[in-house]
Amino acid sequence: MDQKTRNELLKLFKSKLNEAMRLYLETCTRCGVCTEACHVYASTGQVKHIAAYRSEIIRRLYKKYFKIRGKLWPSLSESKELTDVALEELFEAAYSCTGCRRCMVYCPFGIDTQMLMSIAKLLLIGANTEPEILTLLADTSVEKGKSIDLFKEGFLQGIKNLEKEVVKKWKAEAGDSVIPVDVMGADILYVALAGAHSIIPAAAIFNAAGENWTLSFFEAVNFGAFVGDPTKTKLILDRIINEALRLKVKEVCICECGTAFRVMKQLSGKQPFKVSSITEVHARYFKEGRIKIDPGKFNTAITYHDPCQLARNAGVMDEPRYILSQMTKDFRDMTPDPTYNWCCGGGGGLVALGDETIDFRMKSARVKADQVKKTEARILATACENCHSQLSDLNDHYKMNVEVKFLSSMIADALVSE
Amino acid sequence: MQTIFYIILVPMVYLSVAVFALGTLVRIIKIFKGPRHPTTLQIYPEKKAKWLGALYDTFFFPTVRKHKPVLWVFLILFHAGLILLFIGHLELIWDLSLFQIIPHEPFLGKGFVGLTLAVSLLFFLFRRFSSPVRELSVPEDYYLLILLFLIVLFGSQMDWARRWYEYGELSLEDYRDYFMSLMTFRPELPYNATFSGHSFMLILHVFLANLFLIFFPFSQSMHAFLSLPINKLRRG
Ligand code: SF4
Ligand code: SF4
Repeated sequence: MDQKTRNELLKLFKSKLNEAMRLYLETCTRCGVCTEACHVYASTGQVKHIAAYRSEIIRRLYKKYFKIRGKLWPSLSESKELTDVALEELFEAAYSCTGCRRCMVYCPFGIDTQMLMSIAKLLLIGANTEPEILTLLADTSVEKGKSIDLFKEGFLQGIKNLEKEVVKKWKAEAGDSVIPVDVMGADILYVALAGAHSIIPAAAIFNAAGENWTLSFFEAVNFGAFVGDPTKTKLILDRIINEALRLKVKEVCICECGTAFRVMKQLSGKQPFKVSSITEVHARYFKEGRIKIDPGKFNTAITYHDPCQLARNAGVMDEPRYILSQMTKDFRDMTPDPTYNWCCGGGGGLVALGDETIDFRMKSARVKADQVKKTEARILATACENCHSQLSDLNDHYKMNVEVKFLSSMIADALVSE
Repeated sequence: MQTIFYIILVPMVYLSVAVFALGTLVRIIKIFKGPRHPTTLQIYPEKKAKWLGALYDTFFFPTVRKHKPVLWVFLILFHAGLILLFIGHLELIWDLSLFQIIPHEPFLGKGFVGLTLAVSLLFFLFRRFSSPVRELSVPEDYYLLILLFLIVLFGSQMDWARRWYEYGELSLEDYRDYFMSLMTFRPELPYNATFSGHSFMLILHVFLANLFLIFFPFSQSMHAFLSLPINKLRRG
């Protein structure tokens, strides 16, 4: 690596050094309490997968370039130079961490490994060594925000086709406008994923609840967040914020995508609309008696996987349990405290990387598969696209003998008209 | 030799305290002058009393109790011992009636506090030699523990000598005079401090403690000051 590149990368490193990041970089005592917290370490037993080990890779660079003692006495804290080899280590650390923040619950200081890995991810982008596909996907999303008119026609045609499917299955609930788009003053702007499974059941439930809603032109997923690019994360987010402001909606409801929800909820700042996850909205419909379901529809043991970004990292824990309590008499929690639920092993962009990561994803999530199996449930519900994909892969790989289902699809399937 | 003793016991003490105070301050300022993180970094479910929760996390390490109970016992013993020893050193300077609710001669604990600390430090040290903590540790971690162990050992020796094997050449008054003279910037070394049979304990103790103070702002010992704000981030 030449000096110019190194300087550029160090500039990026510096841009990440806010108060919290410095606290996370400077407080670790390497006590090892976080060792067993990480599902990757718990599944593989490899030291390089311990949260503190990952963070030390960043910390060594930090000491070398941003701390006097790292310059004066490098061996004391093993400070290290930023080289191509260091970049490889950063890649391995960052892309074997799903950013689930389970380690944060164990650490006596609450050090956020996901935050520290965001430095690694940014340096990888700077060195053009990040997973290319994630950047491509992020760029596509940003592009769509810039030239929505180009996409509009195709989008509306696609929606027309989906409407037919909604009407076919939920005739009574469909109403006049099956999938409303661009509704000024709607109560809810629903931000879905690019896929029928994210739109059709949601539409059925909104319509059954008599909701005044409108579908967003944009997909919720934020590849900028996965690849760790703060600028693109913000651009992708802003598309939705601007649409919500333009339509003057009261609430933005994010589909079953943990990262999209967390980014929207925590990064959108003070806005005239409220941000909810679709799971929270559905729980509300149940509580207000706005939707009715057939409680016998799923007459089997059900367990629920808490998506890390939705539960531990954004607080949606009670709502899915409330919903499932309406749907089954045999709900089996995986852990007494959802804060401790194991990550599915698919976060941080790993699922989006598809086959490239499948081997690692399967090996690193053995503990998750064991946890699911232990419940002996037959349905494994979840409320995140990433988790759903990963859990389905785990189901095949570890023969978990469950049916992996989206919570929203389960509700839609159980809807009964009054 | 006497000159070296003097340097260790007087100018080096002032220098160490200055480096400690200034270094710590500069490091804290550097951290907190950075911009705030734009989003919350908390872990859910959210609890109401955030500051109280952060204080609880800072002083009682509940996550360690849950996941590494043996380590937790030693951590609590060690940190509680540190506080008692700190009070003990204060009592060498002033008569603090507040701490005389249980009448005692300084230090509290009849010498057992130092012993507990020494044992805890050995536990922390040996823990670092076994995997996986070994792979996480860097030289600084070992140096720091060894340094602390030696400080505690030589410091406690003075206490143990007086209490346990009645070797009282260096009396409480001698320590007091020395400490008081430093505090009032009229440094004076009692004869016993440098000439008695036990003076090398005092000199080594002070020398190593000086090193620790100088090392402190640049080491992970800073967690003493950073633990509360960092724990507050997790509480939201
Ligand atoms: S538990 Fe926290 S302080 Fe201890 S090694 Fe892990 S990250 Fe560092
Ligand atoms: S954030 Fe999750 S995946 Fe990353 S180190 Fe911590 S526990 Fe492991």
